Amino acid sequence: MSAKYTILKGIDIAGLNFLSPVVRLATGEEPAKQMKEIGRLIVIPTLAFLAFFWLWAVVAPKHRTKSGEVPTPSVVWDARAGIWRFHNYETAKQDGFLLQGKERETELARATARIAEVGMLEKIAREQLTAAREASTVKFDTTVAPAKNAYDTLREISRESRKGRTAALKAEAATLNTATEEARLAFLQKLRDTEARTEIDKLELAKLKDRYEEAQEITFPEVKDATRANTVLAEEKQFLVKYIDMLGKDSRELKLAAAKTKLKETRTSFLTATEGDLYRLGSGIIKNEKFIKTTASSKYAKPWTLPKQIVRSLLCVFAGFLLASAIAIPIGILCGLSATFMAAMTPFIALFKPVSPLVWLPIIMIIIGGFMPDPENNAFLMFFDKVPFIKNYKIDPMFLSSAVTVALCSLWATLVNTALGVGAVDKDHMNVARVLRLGFWSRLFKIVIPTALPLIFAGLRISLGVGWMVLVAAEILSTSEGIGKFVNDMYTNGSSESFAQMFVVVFIVGIIGMLLDRIMVVFQRLVSFDSAVPAG
Amino acid sequence: MATTERPTTNHLKNMKSQSNHSRLSLLSAIFTAPALLWLAAGSAHAEKLAVEKDSLKLGFIKLTDCAPLVIAKEKGFFEDEGLQVEVIAQSNWKVLLDNVITGNLDGAHMLSGQPIAATIGIGTEAHIVTPYTLDLNGNAITVSNSIWEQMQQNEPDLDSDTPPHPISAAALKPIAEDLLADGEKLQMGMVFPVSTHNYEIRYWLAASGIHPGFYSKTDVAGRTDAEVELSVTPPPQMPATLEAGTISGYCVGEPWNQQAVTKGIGVPVVTNYEIWKNSPEKVFGVTRKWADENPNTIIAVTKALIRSGKWLDETDAAGKLVNREEACRILSQPNYVGADFEVIKNSMTGTFVFQKTDVLDMPDFNVFFKHDCSYPWYSDGVWFLTQMRRWGQITEAKPASWYAETVKKIYLPEVYRKAAASLISEGYMTEDELPKTDDSYKVTTADFIDGNPYDGHKPIEYINSFEIGIKDDAALSGE
Repeated sequence: MSAKYTILKGIDIAGLNFLSPVVRLATGEEPAKQMKEIGRLIVIPTLAFLAFFWLWAVVAPKHRTKSGEVPTPSVVWDARAGIWRFHNYETAKQDGFLLQGKERETELARATARIAEVGMLEKIAREQLTAAREASTVKFDTTVAPAKNAYDTLREISRESRKGRTAALKAEAATLNTATEEARLAFLQKLRDTEARTEIDKLELAKLKDRYEEAQEITFPEVKDATRANTVLAEEKQFLVKYIDMLGKDSRELKLAAAKTKLKETRTSFLTATEGDLYRLGSGIIKNEKFIKTTASSKYAKPWTLPKQIVRSLLCVFAGFLLASAIAIPIGILCGLSATFMAAMTPFIALFKPVSPLVWLPIIMIIIGGFMPDPENNAFLMFFDKVPFIKNYKIDPMFLSSAVTVALCSLWATLVNTALGVGAVDKDHMNVARVLRLGFWSRLFKIVIPTALPLIFAGLRISLGVGWMVLVAAEILSTSEGIGKFVNDMYTNGSSESFAQMFVVVFIVGIIGMLLDRIMVVFQRLVSFDSAVPAG
Repeated sequence: MATTERPTTNHLKNMKSQSNHSRLSLLSAIFTAPALLWLAAGSAHAEKLAVEKDSLKLGFIKLTDCAPLVIAKEKGFFEDEGLQVEVIAQSNWKVLLDNVITGNLDGAHMLSGQPIAATIGIGTEAHIVTPYTLDLNGNAITVSNSIWEQMQQNEPDLDSDTPPHPISAAALKPIAEDLLADGEKLQMGMVFPVSTHNYEIRYWLAASGIHPGFYSKTDVAGRTDAEVELSVTPPPQMPATLEAGTISGYCVGEPWNQQAVTKGIGVPVVTNYEIWKNSPEKVFGVTRKWADENPNTIIAVTKALIRSGKWLDETDAAGKLVNREEACRILSQPNYVGADFEVIKNSMTGTFVFQKTDVLDMPDFNVFFKHDCSYPWYSDGVWFLTQMRRWGQITEAKPASWYAETVKKIYLPEVYRKAAASLISEGYMTEDELPKTDDSYKVTTADFIDGNPYDGHKPIEYINSFEIGIKDDAALSGE
């Protein structure tokens, strides 16, 4: 029985309340009531989500933009696969670069076998694509030809008739020199009419042209699918070509072996030669040794892929969040303790709180850039190159700028909440402390902070949420590697896939934001006195 | 001999290096006259260059003409020189230049005008040098659908599925004039104040008598006397800006003109191949400081780029570009240009799509090696300087000697020659592929849309030959 309550308590703390009726139902507690709860907490949200997907799938194809069709859920799912494929290829290249000996040879054999297979598949796919294209050209011609013919014919007719009219008018004008004023005015009217006639012709022509252009806009999903299938195979082939090069003729192992043999030969000739340029041979040995040393420690220069960018974004948001907390909590406590200090801080809070990250970022980039004129040899940045794990994520000035921007935008919620929490400490508690003659620090750590903790954490939770939203914007602007940079790259790529790939990011950002929020909820509940768990 | 016969061309290179080794073992085993002869033939070059820096970060903008950098990485040409290179996309030309100057990047894919402008202090000032021209041509001017329709009304010949090329700006002139009468100015985009695109679109407009505006000390936007206003938009954002109606046309590199065709938002009217046949486009730029600190690395990078350019321009017996399709596939990777393979292919495989119905054969639309493309010609630098003066970016009149001295500070043909010599000794390049020139100036050419001849030795005369543009005192020519 106690196990059940421990689970329920855990669920409550984690904020996963929708699970508790399931647990209760499993233990047979008031089944009817639990079923109702499950309906409300699980079935309804699921249905709402499914309805959303259905609506999306139905509405999206109806809205066509010049950047392509709004992707449907299934297209977005495919795009996710595309992002993942690119990641896998690059990871394989990174690993393949380091393979040696037997392992390298088996991998090479595997890749060579695969490329033959892919070549066959690609050939079939290309044939299918050609067939689909041919079919679509025929269909295109048959649907577009009538519109085009109509347009061309009318254009020719109106051009001819305009020419005819102009010629007639010109001929008439030639006779007008001797005509009366009346006749001249009549001619002017005729000119006006002709002009109006030409305008009408033009409008009609424009209508037909629109129809012609509309007809040209038919799309061929079969061609699109065939192209996509073809692209996937062609990309794999491209990857395999490079991969085989890396494992075979361009492999580090073979290069090193060749360089070592050469070094040995040069050494022998250097030691045994009785004539010839010994200086040249000697410096050749030194050069070769250096080449071997650098090659032996070389690594594949892997481009950033989304999974790695996500981790870097998380690092960046936490760096900003820690910085924000380190500033906001002490100031917030001081604000809560002293009304005078609060009064001094109020204008700053009011002034800086509404400033957008897009304003902060360029300013901070310039300031941080000023501190690091030579980022390659900056001691502070080089320190991060030695920290395990973090060293893989290249801490650079752009990263720091983004983190500071996150901090500047997110610290306000923590600051204000901390001040509120500290201000709300029970006067009786403070009086008791005074009677016990507790020092400032003991009062702070024994009474003030424990009481204010729930509100501080409420503030931190808001801060983290704000920080996560700010980060993506900051990364887009600073082109610091991360989710924002990915979105920006996809936007500038403008390929048929990129629209859908941006949708993938919406879900990734959403899910991560939700998880961060859940984590903060757990912390908040853990420190709250009203929860059954001690505040620790 | 350790060399075994291998049938595929893929292994040719391998064979070459292996035979070098076996020759070396021959040398050490029997120290005889033929071996000495071979030694004299330049084995000193066949050794690896001792690069000062072995892991490099190179920047690029998402344009197809970044291909030499990307290919040198993907085909292992950098690795052959002992370099591990990261090729990193930059969001715009300003950021790219700043990153090179601050040292975040070792070098980058740059506009031809960028090293020149930076060195003489237009915009950000820094001494930038270039040992290598990445490509020729590759740009086009695109106008929006509505402007195209108006141009067709002005010039009935254009109202066809296959209008006659090249299309001059004459049909655009009435549109600009109508707008001026309404107190407005036609808005067009280019990618950077000192970009080739800026000078090309200005050349095209001015050749038809449309004034694109002067720069001056106080007018850094270059709109004094303008009949058409030009503004700066980063290449990848061009189609979106055109679609939004902020600008009515733009001059940009690929794939952003083809993107407009594919998305149906605009019509390319003229390529820069038609404005100036075989015009220099992008260069590989590094700072003077970096070049001085890494004398061997810059040669190694140049070597890799030459091989890359050669690979891109390789043709079969029938003259068909054989590697372009693979190059397009590589460029379409999301970390490089990232546009659709089909879109990149439209302009890179020897054709140019003006409209869906109007596809022209343009085998030289993208040139990466032939026509002595990759050599850093002084005369190319002088041309850009004359245009900077013509439009007032260089605010003071300079003597002809200044033009010659300035380009000598920026272009590094000596580095190119060293790299080429090294490649020739390794067998990757032949002697006749290195341009024969005494002073690194191209011969006089009149391959411009208006037929105005250009001789790099006579900058002042050239500047004064234009109807629209600043005129200098003829005495400055120094003759």
